[in-house]
Amino acid sequence: MPNEPTASAQAPLEETTAVDAKAPYGSTELLVLVVERDPHVRELEAHFLQHAGFQVAFATDGQEALAQARERVPDVLITEVLVPKLDGLALCRLLKQDPRTKDISVLVFSILAANSRALEAGADAFLKKPLAEQRLITTVKTLIDNRPRKANAP
Amino acid sequence: MSSFSIADDESVEQNSLTRLSTGNHELDTILFGGFPAHSINILMGEPGSGKTILAERLMFANSDENGRPVLFFTTLSEPVDKVVRYLQQFNFYDESKLGTVIQYSSIGHQLAEEGVGSLVRIIKEAITDLQPQIIVIDSFKAIHDLSTSVPEMRKMLYEVAGLLTAYETTAFFVGEYSADQISTYPEFAVADSMIELARSKHGTRDERFLRVLKLRGSAYLEGLHGFRITNDGLVVYPRLVSPKDPPAYDLLTERVPTGVNGLDTLLDGGLRRGRSTFVLGQTGAGKTTLAMQFVIKGIRRGEPSMYVSFEENPTQLEVQLAAFGMDAKTAHAQGLKFLYVSPVELQIDSIVATIYRTVKESGIKRIVIDAVGDLLIATTDTQRLHSYLYALAQHFAVEGVSSIFTYETIGKDLFTETRMSALADNILLLSIQFEGRRAQRTLRIVKARGIAHDLDEHDLTITSNGIKVG
Repeated sequence: MPNEPTASAQAPLEETTAVDAKAPYGSTELLVLVVERDPHVRELEAHFLQHAGFQVAFATDGQEALAQARERVPDVLITEVLVPKLDGLALCRLLKQDPRTKDISVLVFSILAANSRALEAGADAFLKKPLAEQRLITTVKTLIDNRPRKANAP
Repeated sequence: MSSFSIADDESVEQNSLTRLSTGNHELDTILFGGFPAHSINILMGEPGSGKTILAERLMFANSDENGRPVLFFTTLSEPVDKVVRYLQQFNFYDESKLGTVIQYSSIGHQLAEEGVGSLVRIIKEAITDLQPQIIVIDSFKAIHDLSTSVPEMRKMLYEVAGLLTAYETTAFFVGEYSADQISTYPEFAVADSMIELARSKHGTRDERFLRVLKLRGSAYLEGLHGFRITNDGLVVYPRLVSPKDPPAYDLLTERVPTGVNGLDTLLDGGLRRGRSTFVLGQTGAGKTTLAMQFVIKGIRRGEPSMYVSFEENPTQLEVQLAAFGMDAKTAHAQGLKFLYVSPVELQIDSIVATIYRTVKESGIKRIVIDAVGDLLIATTDTQRLHSYLYALAQHFAVEGVSSIFTYETIGKDLFTETRMSALADNILLLSIQFEGRRAQRTLRIVKARGIAHDLDEHDLTITSNGIKVG
């Protein structure tokens, strides 16, 4: 599968977040990639995830998310189904088909009741919006605890 | 393949709309379960209409010591101290929750200093710092009045609505809005539900009404619902609507004896079960005595029976019972219910709701409502009374409750309110005629639906054993 041009890795990271794009991957902070179009959801997700000790990166559409996921291989990817260019479920399928990205835990977090479709697409978890801090953080932590192989936790 | 290990209950139960109880069973009934959770709701009405009390009861009902906080923001209408001072008189007030899980604060100063746009930051900070499950803003109308331009207000609302939608919280905008502002004020465009509270003056007392104007994603009980404000908050009387199913056929064929000597013969065996009978007549014609006999007959036959009076208090009614050789205590033990309501005290909504509830709870089979005219005096809206009486009669028919409504006529006028006759399955006309110094009472069956009844006028005498016809 030909690689997408990775220039988009420089693409718009949320300016309000404390993401340090230069931090070497493999540091002790676990990386969560959030794929979300709604600025309010993005902002609140960032706040709660960072507050829980995660490093957070953003993509606002599916293509950009795919490129970032291949480049940075986050520990967890949280995606809405309804994102431009490549929908969240298609993104999930592509990630799960690719050996480089198949171990990324995918959480589908959507306004749609897409529970079973998320399952079919190979997602590891599903949550329905709106956002609740406890549910989100608990789910992300459980995903990390349940990762199929030992990754980069110290 | 990864296993699909995590999906919590709320994410799995996708199709049912989660509800937030109002803390008031009757209001929840009107809303088909409560407000939609995680929504934006407007509580509107003139000052003093009960909006804040509705919100506060809901806040206390949904607050849980170990749960997420409930926030109440006052704006520029009333200082926090004043709101809290009045809050303490209510029974739902719980001191241990105040300042811990329920937090009151004023954002008026900040809004005034920094403009209405600062509400976005206030809410964002509230969400990130406190993760509230409920946010009440009272008065939101004050924020509207503070805005300097329509675009400013719209922009702020767009952001606020976005935030409130993104996060799992339920918001209430409380405001002194009037109905004509719904189409022009942008806050109504972001609202998932709207409830209007209104008050109308009627003589020396107020009638209060509540109405659902919008409830996104759900059905609700339409129309005006009466309510009162008590120490328990709002006491709501959902509007009585006609039952869904018609009465069962076999129910209506059963005959019930009236208990009036000679009358059942004229009625070819008695009244039909579940039917409504209007007893008309001038004052002194014997309406109350006849109705009382009907109820006593019920008790003697082991049917739970109820007497609703707007004129005679329980003591007076007990005297009447005694005259028929029935001890009040025994009668109560055998299933007799008295309901005395002073018609100047209450609005018909609460009267009808109480009657209906008692009938349901006590399995009442016979009921007397004495007299309809008192209800007419108690209401500002006769159309509303008609639909209530109609709905009551329909419910009685479905549940097999035989009813007598007394109605006082003046002079020769048979039915002052002619539309009343449509409510009656049967009409008995009592009369008293004077000839010189002698008086003679009579009874005539004007109408008896489905009964081969007698049509003549008959003498009616009141003896020590009660009424005798013929």
